[in-house]
Amino acid sequence: TAGNKILHFGACRVSMSMTEIRAGFTAIKANIQARDPIRTLSILSYPHSLHKVNSSDRCCITHHLFNFYVDKVFKHCKTEDSYVNRKISSIANSFLSIKRKLGQCHEKNQCMCGQESTEKFKQILANYEGLNVTSAAMKSLGELDILLDWME
Amino acid sequence: LGILFFFVFFLAPQNISILSTNMKHILTWSPVIIQGETVRYSVEFQGEYERFFFFFFWIPISECSLIFFSFFFITEDISATVFFFLFFLADLGARRSDFFFFFFFFNRNTTSLTSPIFFFFFFGYHLLVELEDMGPAFQFRVLYWKKGQERRVSVTLGFWVIREVSSVVHLFFFVFFFEYCVKAQSYVEAINRSSSFSQTQCCL
Amino acid sequence: SGELYCSLLNPRNVRFESINMKNVLHWSAPEGTGNGVLYRVKYSVYGVGKWIRKPECRNINRTWCDLSSETSDYEEQYYASVKAFLNGMFSDWVETTRFNPLTDTKIDPPMVSVSSTDKSISIILTAPEKWKRSPEEESKSLLQVYPGLQYNVSVLNKKTKKRWFFSISNHTLVVPWLEPETAYCVSAQIHITTPILDSGFSKEYCIATSKDKTEA
Repeated sequence: TAGNKILHFGACRVSMSMTEIRAGFTAIKANIQARDPIRTLSILSYPHSLHKVNSSDRCCITHHLFNFYVDKVFKHCKTEDSYVNRKISSIANSFLSIKRKLGQCHEKNQCMCGQESTEKFKQILANYEGLNVTSAAMKSLGELDILLDWME
Repeated sequence: LGILFFFVFFLAPQNISILSTNMKHILTWSPVIIQGETVRYSVEFQGEYERFFFFFFWIPISECSLIFFSFFFITEDISATVFFFLFFLADLGARRSDFFFFFFFFNRNTTSLTSPIFFFFFFGYHLLVELEDMGPAFQFRVLYWKKGQERRVSVTLGFWVIREVSSVVHLFFFVFFFEYCVKAQSYVEAINRSSSFSQTQCCL
Repeated sequence: SGELYCSLLNPRNVRFESINMKNVLHWSAPEGTGNGVLYRVKYSVYGVGKWIRKPECRNINRTWCDLSSETSDYEEQYYASVKAFLNGMFSDWVETTRFNPLTDTKIDPPMVSVSSTDKSISIILTAPEKWKRSPEEESKSLLQVYPGLQYNVSVLNKKTKKRWFFSISNHTLVVPWLEPETAYCVSAQIHITTPILDSGFSKEYCIATSKDKTEA
């Protein structure tokens, strides 16, 4: 259906309301990206694009990234704009729901972590901690389409 | 729907509830009538995310702040399959000190799903099933079988699912006889639930 | 924005206009300036440190610059910037918003070819190609770029004025058991669920089913 997408990571099967997440992000993309003046650094794509991640590591890196957004990013993205806050809440709660499903896969050992995904996630955390927390969170939120494009 | 009363005052609207059908959620209440006064209503919400990470951060719904009417569509904000906590406030325009608030939670996986309305007719050796378009979250399961042969049933989640750009979904099936029975149910992947099957319709 | 006496007002409405990933930078001249304004263009890949000048768009007097070649990797995102010059004065660099070729492009309708028999019509749909540098370069269909690409096909019976819509994933559709000697008009649209992208509907292609063979 146009609404939901089922992503298959080997035995791990996760249903995600991609259209709702995309619609929410598209509505605030210009606003959020305008708050990120740093053109020279990317949290998710530096130094290598997510597209370079080995396919066997996709589930683990996805699991790490959803934990990253839920635990670290969204809570530092409060704005003065109620409409933007509503859309961020919508995305954050969708991510929370998906994070739980990925967590279940992880517990059933269906989402194994290889060396590459561990290294890639360390790099992402290093990029994140290289900036002050609000700038890093806003930049990460502005890069949500990079994550969604890669996942699909 | 879990309900916690904090305190009641003369401003307390009766029958505050959420009517949720087919993934559309409406917050409704009985308006409070006070002679010579205007009661205004506001709603704010938190998802589970905010509850865990932002406990004191309530998100106002701008279109539902200080309104006078007694219902509001909250579908757009209830956009994930987690619990949402709603904070309902009624106050007197002139004297904001007199207010009543009410606190409850809701999860969209409790929405009631109705079986789809459908018509079917033949077009040559072609069974065309026309279903109401219930929105992007919905899929359809259609069962059709030759009359009298209930055992042999063909199931399809929509062979040639056809989404009318305006409002109707057409399902086209090849058939070889004219005596068929059909029934349909809707399915929502986001909450992993189906409606009951509709009434069986057979061609006369 | 720049003060009038020693610098030029900025170019306005600097943005990418993209169709099938042909990504062209467009802008409007600074307010109140007539002819004679020249422009320079630079671009950068998001997350990479440097701005890169576009030589073919140095000191140009037109208000667009084709950056398709420079932005053809749709796994990256980009910024572009324009500066105006006139009689020794110059404006600030004015940037676009972040451009994501994958989600910010527009899609042309599919090509539609129709044939008919006495009781059916066959429809073949072809998705547009992604922009390519030269005719010799290997073509890449947008179907390869968007694996979730679907087609919405509208079939109108001109006699009964009844219209059906089909949502299909493959590029061929046979509508059987139609009425002989009847005109049908077909048009199609590309529908991508995520990212959310839809083309317009193609123009209508009409064809008539032939005489009923069984009657002959």
